[in-house]
Amino acid sequence: MNKEVERKTNPQRDPQQTITKIGLAVVFLIGAALIYMGIRAQKEFSSSGFSSESAYQAIYTLGHDVSDAWKKSLQPELNKFSEADRPSLDQAVKDLAAEVWKSQNKDAELPEEADKSEEVFKLLYSAYLVNGPKVNAGNRKTIIAIPKDNVSDFRQQLLACVIDENASLPAEAEKLTDGLSGSERQAMLMQIFFISCGSTEAGITENVNTFKKTVRGKESQLTAFRMIANNDISWLWQLVISNSKTVILLGIILMLDTILLALLMNAEHLWELDFKWILILLIIDFLLFFQMMPVIYMIIRALFPDGSFSTEVLQRLYTYPMNLTALRNTFLAATATMILGTVIAFPLAWLVGRTNLYGKKFFRALFVVTYMVPPYVGAMAWLRLMNPNVGTINQVLRAVFHLSDAPGPLNVYTLPGMIWVLTSFYYPYAFITISRAMEKMDPSLEDASRVSGASPLTTVARITLPMMTPSLIAGALLVFVSAASCYGIPSIIGKPGNVSTVTTRIVEYVSLGQQGMNDATALSVVLMIVALVILFISDVILAKRQYITVSGKSVNPAIVDLRSWRIPATLIVSLFAVIMVLIPFITILTTSFKVDVGKSVTAAKNFTTANWTTVFARTETLGCLKNSLIYASITATVGLVVACVMSYLLQRTTVRGRNIPNFLITLGSGTPSVVIALGLIMTMRGNFGVNIYGTAYIMIIAYLIKYMMMGMRTVVSAMSQIHVSLEESSQISGASWLTTMFRVTGPLIFSSIAAGWFLIFIPSFYELSMTTLLYSSTTKTIGFQLYEYWTFTSQPMSCAMAFGILLIVILLNFILNRLTNGEFSI
Amino acid sequence: MASIKINHISKAFGDSVVLKEINETFQDGEFVTLLGPSGCGKSTMLRIIAGFEKPTTGELYFDDRLVTGGKTFVPPEKRNIGMVFQSYAVWPHMNVFDNVAYPLTIKKVSKDDIKKRVEQVLDITHLTQYTDRFPNQLSGGQQQRIALARALVAQPDLLLLDEPLSNLDAKLRESMRFEIKELQKKTGITVVYVTHDQTEAMAMSDRIFLINRGVIQQSGSPEEIYKRPVNQFVADFLGKVDFFKGVAENGKITFPQMGGQSIAYDGPLTGKVDVAVRPDNIYFSFDGPLLGKLETQYYLGDVNDCRVRVGDTLLRVIAPGYEYGSLSLQQDVRLAIREFMVFEDDGSLDEMLQIRT
Repeated sequence: MNKEVERKTNPQRDPQQTITKIGLAVVFLIGAALIYMGIRAQKEFSSSGFSSESAYQAIYTLGHDVSDAWKKSLQPELNKFSEADRPSLDQAVKDLAAEVWKSQNKDAELPEEADKSEEVFKLLYSAYLVNGPKVNAGNRKTIIAIPKDNVSDFRQQLLACVIDENASLPAEAEKLTDGLSGSERQAMLMQIFFISCGSTEAGITENVNTFKKTVRGKESQLTAFRMIANNDISWLWQLVISNSKTVILLGIILMLDTILLALLMNAEHLWELDFKWILILLIIDFLLFFQMMPVIYMIIRALFPDGSFSTEVLQRLYTYPMNLTALRNTFLAATATMILGTVIAFPLAWLVGRTNLYGKKFFRALFVVTYMVPPYVGAMAWLRLMNPNVGTINQVLRAVFHLSDAPGPLNVYTLPGMIWVLTSFYYPYAFITISRAMEKMDPSLEDASRVSGASPLTTVARITLPMMTPSLIAGALLVFVSAASCYGIPSIIGKPGNVSTVTTRIVEYVSLGQQGMNDATALSVVLMIVALVILFISDVILAKRQYITVSGKSVNPAIVDLRSWRIPATLIVSLFAVIMVLIPFITILTTSFKVDVGKSVTAAKNFTTANWTTVFARTETLGCLKNSLIYASITATVGLVVACVMSYLLQRTTVRGRNIPNFLITLGSGTPSVVIALGLIMTMRGNFGVNIYGTAYIMIIAYLIKYMMMGMRTVVSAMSQIHVSLEESSQISGASWLTTMFRVTGPLIFSSIAAGWFLIFIPSFYELSMTTLLYSSTTKTIGFQLYEYWTFTSQPMSCAMAFGILLIVILLNFILNRLTNGEFSI
Repeated sequence: MASIKINHISKAFGDSVVLKEINETFQDGEFVTLLGPSGCGKSTMLRIIAGFEKPTTGELYFDDRLVTGGKTFVPPEKRNIGMVFQSYAVWPHMNVFDNVAYPLTIKKVSKDDIKKRVEQVLDITHLTQYTDRFPNQLSGGQQQRIALARALVAQPDLLLLDEPLSNLDAKLRESMRFEIKELQKKTGITVVYVTHDQTEAMAMSDRIFLINRGVIQQSGSPEEIYKRPVNQFVADFLGKVDFFKGVAENGKITFPQMGGQSIAYDGPLTGKVDVAVRPDNIYFSFDGPLLGKLETQYYLGDVNDCRVRVGDTLLRVIAPGYEYGSLSLQQDVRLAIREFMVFEDDGSLDEMLQIRT
């Protein structure tokens, strides 16, 4: 600010200005040079015709001598290598194959002459699955149904067909390969082969993930190797070739940053490098690359599926009945949840916040705590309660009303069932928004109404409610968006009940490979745009949204005396709490001790602690738990550092450009989880110079994008309450900036910093939606493990795990409460 | 202890110029007050001295040491300054002792020394009994004294006070005035005091700098600027003043809006003038030059606040309280003026007076 004036009033040129401008130009040129080098390297790479597709084939053909048919197709590629180069290339490829083998077979050596056909086909299939068609569930059943005696012949026949296109196909495979040819046909055949071998879909997918990760990591290395084999090149060029995309990326980032920096400097009239700008640029770079680029890429992919503008994908998508149903379901579910949730939340918030209800504080804490429970845990509980056959509530209802033993009367596997579960999880969002607004409302406004002769009830209707409207709408919209972009609940309830939503469709499409990716993208883009537009509207309505409860700062609003309604109201709220909170949690707990989920836990021989001991004795579970704890800790720590830097920039400086990262972070948190994950999958597998697909990094980055804002809002609001003079008086006492931060600002906002950390940690810890799309066999988290147990293994065991997660969340909440002297809890 | 030399300092925020070419020297050991309406630039000047703001142009010297100017900029923590903020800025997470000891701990003074010096300064500021209390357990005045103790404990060269009394109630404000003045006398420290309250400025300062619109209007001892204001703004800002338009000629000033009545004048000005009169300088006198009608009077104990209509003008007269009984409404009265100030009427009066906020 002050320097701006300096430049305006001092028109004479400053040598500093010239130096800075020259420096910027140099960095800009370096960026341009990097891009040029990268593009040249890529050109050389592709002009030799050695595409990455043929590289895969070469790797496996050379690594495991399979068939002449494969070799033949590769011959033109292989012929391009001179005889002298061959041995070294062969060796490199063999090493690579051995490495892939090791990663899949628990560090075993590559067998020299073992019977490789099955394993090798597995790998080859993996290579092709990237583009391959998919066997649907019906056909899968037909293949599995082949009698045991015939299956060996069936497989032999299949293998013969893979090698020889003209061999006769078994009847079961005939219709599946109809219309397919070449590599697609081969991929399909191999897929059938595996299904007949009893391979599960998950098993194959896992192979694909490991395969892709390893091969992509090695791809550029191989290229560089080939360059060396052809002609002697310098190490620098070698480095550029082997990382051409990364080099181009670096160049682009450098150029963008210098342009942005120049714009900032020009706007500020300050041609000096301010350290704050470096911080801002670093955060912007991170968000632009990992958040904005994937999203923009997806939008482009949706509109330009084949490089030119076409609404074909979108049209196909939205004329396909399954998708239309999913869209309809999502819209209905979100709208109903929004209405139901708000209708529940408003009277609750009023009773708890503004009346002399008994046990207000307890109820408040109870309803807010639901906010921190993983959505799928609630879904699991309601499944157990409202299962049409064995659901506890159904059993009770049947017994009480002497109904027949037919399923029902309640069925959770329906749209209304899903709406109910969504409501039970998302009404706290509205509750928190509304009750904060209620507690902050100036009581004299209501007093004025009373003095004017209005009764308490009239005052609520004529004054309180209208004044609450903005927060009411904002809370409702938040519920709508959260319900619409929720994956955890529909995945557990909707899938078995065939109630598909947009999010479950997206995840299904992703597992369908390349073609599915296009459709998933198109669906995601629509979901994202709807979510962001609604959140933007809500932000306009309610300029400030807050996610946590800060106690002790609000004015004391007038308390309405319920008089004779006091006891009935308390009873109603208690009943609600029992239904919404207590029964689900108890269900999870009791189910975790059951042998047979259909019977009561008190029934004979139905109580066991085996579920707990089994689940938590498994190294896999502990491994997943460890992963979750590590990833969530890293996410929370990195997120909090960014949050603190941003808070300082926003609250204590007037530096230009500080609102850009703020805007991006807010945007990220509003983007549906499934969309964030999908965008990362599509852009972070090496095609844009960064390859973190299948690693822990991609998950941590996804968590950061989604949850960083929770931490930032907390620290920003704490910092805004610290008057600048507190820092200035420390400085005037002789303390440096750093000392001031550590001794004055730090201690004053410590509790908020701790709260911010936990607010990022807890949702990252039990995350499911993004993890489902981003995990690999080595990066499974506890949330995903729980989901797998629920879907594939045992419900009581998954309940044990769910309760374990709950206990950890409660423990963390307790620690937070202690750490901040009760000022914060979630 | 140090003197402060302000050399051609200007400051602008964006397009609005807050300080214009300030050129002053504050002597060592002097109690200087920067006085002016809010937004006049006085706080900015103080923050420039403290080093929280950089001036757009100009230099600042403490004694002969350049602290701001050209490429030189000494950050606040290296200036050896004590400062008291309007909001006290007492750290809520430290008790009284730790708050006051902070500047010394930063300087890595030995523990024994810290204890001794903190106790000493707590004694001067009458805070000894509250050593272990936390700020939220103390009153505003006590918090203010913590801030003062903290500013003094490291024996700074310079004490800056930014409207330190404006958040206190009237009585406390008065007693704190004297405490601060006494402290300054005891320590002999150079003090720069910022306020918009003219009584405060008058009571404490060796020299007052009256600032308006980024320009120092007048500087001098309290008596000088009260008695001999250089322009209408200064006259108006210090104490109560009423202005009357008049014409000066032939040894008298005639007021057209008082029915052409006039008073004697032997000053140098002729033509259109603004006459500034403080209401307590007008008194009832049987041979006074102005004839009017008493319209209202309010008995305030020590004084009698009257309004007298002279021609079309309503004059305010602050008469002694004992005259209340001897006057009755609507009676004709004669007024004399003990002292008045005459300024040339250049048409700027209304504009100048509008600034007051």
